[in-house]
Amino acid sequence: MLLSLAWRNIWRNKRRSLIIIAAIAVGLLCGLFASAVMFGMGESLINSTIDRDLGHIQIHTKAFEDDKLLTDTIPSVQKVLSDIKSQPNLIGASARLIIEGMISSATSSGGVRITGIIPEDEKKVTSIHNQIVAGSYFENEDANQIVLGLKLAENLGIRERSKVVLSFQGLDGTIIYGAFRVTGIFRTESTMFDRSTVFIQENDILSLLSTEPIYHEIAVRLNSVQNVDTVYANLRKKFDDLSIKSWKELAPELKLMDEMIGLQLNIFLGVILFALLFGITNTMLMSVMERIREFGVLMAVGMKRRKVFSMIILETIILSLVGGVVGMILASITIAYFGFAGINLSAFAAGLSEWGLGTILYPVLPISFYLSITVMILLTAVFSAIYPAIKAIKLKPATAIRTF
Amino acid sequence: MSLIQINKVTKIYDGTAVPVKALNNVDLKIEAGEFTAIVGPSGSGKTTLLNIVGGLDIPTSGNVIIDNVDISTYKPDELVNFRLHHIGFVFQAYNLIPVFTAKENVEFIMLLQGLVKAEREKRATELLNAVGLGDRVNNKPSELSGGQQQRIAVARALASKPSFVLADEPTANLDSATADSLLDLMENLNKEFNMTFVFSTHDQRVISRAHRIITLHDGAVERDELIKQNQ
Ligand SMILES: Nc1ncnc2c1ncn2[C@@H]1O[C@H](COP(=O)(O)OP(=O)(O)OP(=O)(O)O)[C@@H](O)[C@H]1O
Ligand SMILES: [Mg+2]
Repeated sequence: MLLSLAWRNIWRNKRRSLIIIAAIAVGLLCGLFASAVMFGMGESLINSTIDRDLGHIQIHTKAFEDDKLLTDTIPSVQKVLSDIKSQPNLIGASARLIIEGMISSATSSGGVRITGIIPEDEKKVTSIHNQIVAGSYFENEDANQIVLGLKLAENLGIRERSKVVLSFQGLDGTIIYGAFRVTGIFRTESTMFDRSTVFIQENDILSLLSTEPIYHEIAVRLNSVQNVDTVYANLRKKFDDLSIKSWKELAPELKLMDEMIGLQLNIFLGVILFALLFGITNTMLMSVMERIREFGVLMAVGMKRRKVFSMIILETIILSLVGGVVGMILASITIAYFGFAGINLSAFAAGLSEWGLGTILYPVLPISFYLSITVMILLTAVFSAIYPAIKAIKLKPATAIRTF
Repeated sequence: MSLIQINKVTKIYDGTAVPVKALNNVDLKIEAGEFTAIVGPSGSGKTTLLNIVGGLDIPTSGNVIIDNVDISTYKPDELVNFRLHHIGFVFQAYNLIPVFTAKENVEFIMLLQGLVKAEREKRATELLNAVGLGDRVNNKPSELSGGQQQRIAVARALASKPSFVLADEPTANLDSATADSLLDLMENLNKEFNMTFVFSTHDQRVISRAHRIITLHDGAVERDELIKQNQ
């Protein structure tokens, strides 16, 4: 009956209640949608970085971490690989040979990171093969193919089928030159990556180096980010002389960003709710002021102050929750729609791609966010109600009835 | 022992620029079953007296003893409880919760008392029948006339099974025919259930219905006439 009383009291002044409900709903809709966009950006940044070259876990020797020397190779790599392949939830593992070197075209040259790969393995770990804009991704096993980024191709003034020369220091310190033909050009979300990374087949580089297979890096891809921690722990235990790193360690800025986004958005919504707090307080205060006589009568006939207090808190909570639920429903519909359709950011794409972001943004919001926002709404309601409720219970019934 | 004993009650309002002596040494005894009117000109202290008897206000000096208990010894929360279980209130107007129906208004007081739903509904229906509004149980106050609203207020006052009912100018907002019929109702309830009614008024026609008339003047009892002995 108290609940029904509270509910009906809210609808006594329909317009006033609807205004504050609309304010809460719109505030939350905007806040949640903006949060979802931010989250979506974060997610896509993380995912595209993982997809592009990070993988979920990477393995190096500890020396390579520090010096990136050609000689810092992973010992007994086949054993390591087969251990990795026995891990649960694995999609693939790609061993890479990495050399810093130079690329030269007829007109220009620049520094690049030369990555020697086994294309079939690499395809399971990264998605460069899906981002080819010209040519193909090691479609055949012809020797001396090179796949590079669009930005680099532009810088060097080359196209598909152009010839380039790679140069780098060999194992004995001499400079080695190799001629390659551009068979594929990729374009990822990150121009920085596109400008600085080239892929060749490991056989080609091994023969240039004239060595047995050597690898500097193993990138591991799992079926979900959720499973990274277990596999990471397993590998750490197994190979304690190697350096095992998860994507969070490999790209600490992404991890930080991931955490910062969550924190920032909670603060952001907190600020919105804080602003709404004053509106709610004002609404409830008006409502209490209009009912002074009624509270007087209620207290006179035997309603305890504590009950009057709870009734006003309850009314405020209901009012805020109605606004909150409407806002959350509208927000989740909007987010679901744009999460499906995407938001086209091509107008700003030039700036965004520098940061590794795609041009279509898919907003997402984790469920946990809706829970924390509900708690925040409840807190806001209680805080908003305190002042009006205190006003109400401070009334002396005799005075309230006499004067109103 | 009397039902209500008012001992040397003085009330001074000193919140104002000039302190007002609203009650001056009032000594009264009210017995169970009385049908008593407190009368007097405006400002004579009727409301103040009823408020003090009803535990809504505290006397500056003197005390009020109800059912053998000095109510000035109660802490605020105990006083609320005491009002809930011992006193029925009818005010001049706007007694009811506007969002509740007639029945819910009567039920609410029993909810505060902690009665279960079935019991509340049964008693509320009985009382509304008793005050002649059996057919309006589901109407909101705004859909009822002033007289009907006051009848519901009377039903609510009785719902808590109080020791007595205090009514401060219950007919002030009613026309004389409606006032008469409300008085009929109260008098009947007084006769039938021996319910004690103490009401204030300055309406001459209402005064004439009282069994005992206590006249206040400047906060003091000026006259106290017994018109009709209780059966
Ligand atoms: N809260 C208050 N503060 C100061 N003075 C008050 C207060 N309440 C009542 N008074 C004064 O006390 C006196 C008695 O008032 P009270 O309301 O009891 O009279 P009343 O007989 O009920 O009058 P009426 O017939 O107009 O209702 C009046 O002079 C009034 O102005
Ligand atoms: Mg009065």
